[in-house]
Amino acid sequence: MALPNQQQVDYPSFKLVIVGDGGTGKTTFVKRHLTGEFEKKYEPTIGVEVHPLDFFTNCGKVRFYCWDTAGQEKFGGLRDGYYIHGQCAIIMFDVTARLTYKNVPTWHRDLCRVCENIPIVLCGNKVDVKNRQVKAKQVTFHRKKNLQYYEISAKSNYNFEKPFLYLARKLAGDPNLHFVESPALAPPEVHIDMVAQQQHEAELAMAANQPLPDDDDDAFD
Amino acid sequence: MESVEKGGMEDQVEIVARAFVDHYYHLFDNNRPSLSSLYQNTSMLSFEGQNILGVDDISKKLTQLPFDHCKHFISTIDCQPSPLAGGILVFVSGYIQLLGEEHQLRFSQMFQLIPMPQGSFFVQNDIFRLNYG
Repeated sequence: MALPNQQQVDYPSFKLVIVGDGGTGKTTFVKRHLTGEFEKKYEPTIGVEVHPLDFFTNCGKVRFYCWDTAGQEKFGGLRDGYYIHGQCAIIMFDVTARLTYKNVPTWHRDLCRVCENIPIVLCGNKVDVKNRQVKAKQVTFHRKKNLQYYEISAKSNYNFEKPFLYLARKLAGDPNLHFVESPALAPPEVHIDMVAQQQHEAELAMAANQPLPDDDDDAFD
Repeated sequence: MESVEKGGMEDQVEIVARAFVDHYYHLFDNNRPSLSSLYQNTSMLSFEGQNILGVDDISKKLTQLPFDHCKHFISTIDCQPSPLAGGILVFVSGYIQLLGEEHQLRFSQMFQLIPMPQGSFFVQNDIFRLNYG
């Protein structure tokens, strides 16, 4: 959903709600997409900045109106107005700050209270940082709630397109949809150790076959 | 209704309210742990809908907010004598700038100040809300 003062488009567009603790990199993540950054609009009464992010698929263009807060989540939960009419969502945590992963269930609950049955991607950000506090195999919440999980590094652009591709496929109902052209992204500010990251991805794949820990919604201690 | 000439009592209320507001936000922005000196065991804080009782938990809540640097800008201060002897109601509006955030956040905050025997005041009630959405 665009803001009233924002340009409407004649191709499919969706409101994408981004939530997660303050400091997990939500704003950094949406700002990577350059045309979205140029066309973003701020609405002070709702306290939201909306970035229109276009992607090019084999079925044509698709636009995500990405709703990003102005930092209100650092004071408490967000108002319903932020979630209303959300059609898809990203829940972000920081793999270098354990508490931000422990709070994922709360963000998921708040989101689902307003937006029932929308596709959701869980993103573990900052995987470029050496001292991870949340290991790939410790991330299990998405398996309990049927979410997609991606490890990302906003500053290096690692896996930037993955969450959007997953959501576009779900929203289009076409598992074969693919991107035919990459959007212009801000140049990487850091570089990721691909050998280490491939190891993490392998751990994640292994963990997917392990039984889930039975501690209800508690992410882990 | 005719406007009422301000008496000495109301001047006093306003002086205390303004001094309190200056002091409170100065501490909040520069030395948040020391805000605990303004609350007592009976104090109540409602912070974005979360209810907190007592100086210890209030102090913990305020010091553990997940941002280090912020600056409050005050737009308005309104005050009234409260029905409790010597108490003062203070209502503040303004905005907060967080370090690293591009946009300011508007807020409203209400306090009830209660006098102590030694002549100073403490915060019995504190209600804080961001204004958005």
